[in-house]
Amino acid sequence: MKKISLNISVNGEKHRLKIDPNLRLLDLLRDELRLTGAKEGCGIGECGACTVLLDGAAVNSCLVLAGQCEGKKVLTIEGLKGAETLHPLQRAFVEEGAVQCGFCTPGMILSAKALIDENPRPGEEEIKEAISGNLCRCTGYRQIVEAIKEAALRLADSEK
Amino acid sequence: MLDFDLIRAGTLTEALEFLQKNGSSTRVIAGGTDLLVELRSLSEGSPEAPDYVLDISPLEELKGIREKKDLLLIGPLVTHREIAASGPVGRYAPLLARACSTVGAVQHRVAGTIGGNIINASPAADSVPALIALDAEVIFRSARKKRKKALKDIFVKPYLTDIRPDELLTEIRFKKLSEGARSGFIKLARRNALAISRMNIAVVIILGKGVVKDIRISPGSTTPLPDRITVAEKVMTGKKPTAELIRKAGAKVAEEMIARSGVRWSTPYKEPVIAAMVSRALREALGDELASG
Repeated sequence: MKKISLNISVNGEKHRLKIDPNLRLLDLLRDELRLTGAKEGCGIGECGACTVLLDGAAVNSCLVLAGQCEGKKVLTIEGLKGAETLHPLQRAFVEEGAVQCGFCTPGMILSAKALIDENPRPGEEEIKEAISGNLCRCTGYRQIVEAIKEAALRLADSEK
Repeated sequence: MLDFDLIRAGTLTEALEFLQKNGSSTRVIAGGTDLLVELRSLSEGSPEAPDYVLDISPLEELKGIREKKDLLLIGPLVTHREIAASGPVGRYAPLLARACSTVGAVQHRVAGTIGGNIINASPAADSVPALIALDAEVIFRSARKKRKKALKDIFVKPYLTDIRPDELLTEIRFKKLSEGARSGFIKLARRNALAISRMNIAVVIILGKGVVKDIRISPGSTTPLPDRITVAEKVMTGKKPTAELIRKAGAKVAEEMIARSGVRWSTPYKEPVIAAMVSRALREALGDELASG
């Protein structure tokens, strides 16, 4: 196995790396860059716990080879918040009780971010559709949907 | 994860030359949503374990949706999401846009490609029945030559097509549906989202002077190989599309499913359900053109 070079931007920081060719994006983030927000749940693209944004779109990082991300931009949950404050999505999740064990939360929030970036005022059905690839086994989805609605409203207001 | 070398192709020519030399020990990766699951399930030293994985995802030559006169040309790297949102696909092949919009969840539609959906050759693929109802053709290229084949003729058995080790799928093409054409796609799965088709059905129906001029009925996860069910199409061809005839066409598809797939544990369920799905798809496609009597 020949190591390969990789130029990748993660949470705004540029990296030049030598990586194993069979490394998944999820392994790169967790094991090499120590960004453990993205979780490995099922490892076969069904649970969405490993969701990150790749060039702005939600992907399962367990189904992407790191070597396929040459020149791309990755956003993980660690890159979402500002230095001091929570992102409005994170704050809404806390306030609406949309977090219980927290394992699905980073992926859920990033799927929500991909939606809101594209569609700042999503309807309830659009929210459900956007998070349909993220499974939660604790809270039920109602609080999560409410949190995303609330965050979208606040983000839209803050841009007025 | 298996050990393999990752080859990142810069151009289509480079990719084809690599396959010319190493095709039989290489797997091609595009969106990765099926291949990475498969690679992880293989053990080191298994005969299917590849030495190389060839990444074609950056190849511009294999992207994009183009119109050429009465044809729609789709690059194999076009994602399900791009197809679902495409203006030309929505106009000239709405059943394909619908089929691609039902694949997996957002994450799979963002990454997964139509070419991957075809070559993975899952009997439960969603885009394939729609493409077969569109009478789609595919183009395979190797470093030496190019060949064109009807999509329905490439499937050898579930999860296997007749693509050769030195070839890439380089284009999917079909005739735009004419203005008066009606079409539909229905998927039945265990859940509404993030679900694999238990069965699906794609139909195209073209009327002229109140009778059926052209009809294509293409079910998925129903027969061992994807195909149009011409015996059911004949039930309606040349006739007024009545509710009774639609019911008969559905029953014919169920009959043909059993003839081709045999009686299986799921048959008592699938038989009435596929019949109802076909009738419903035809009824919905026809809308107010459904003939009385």
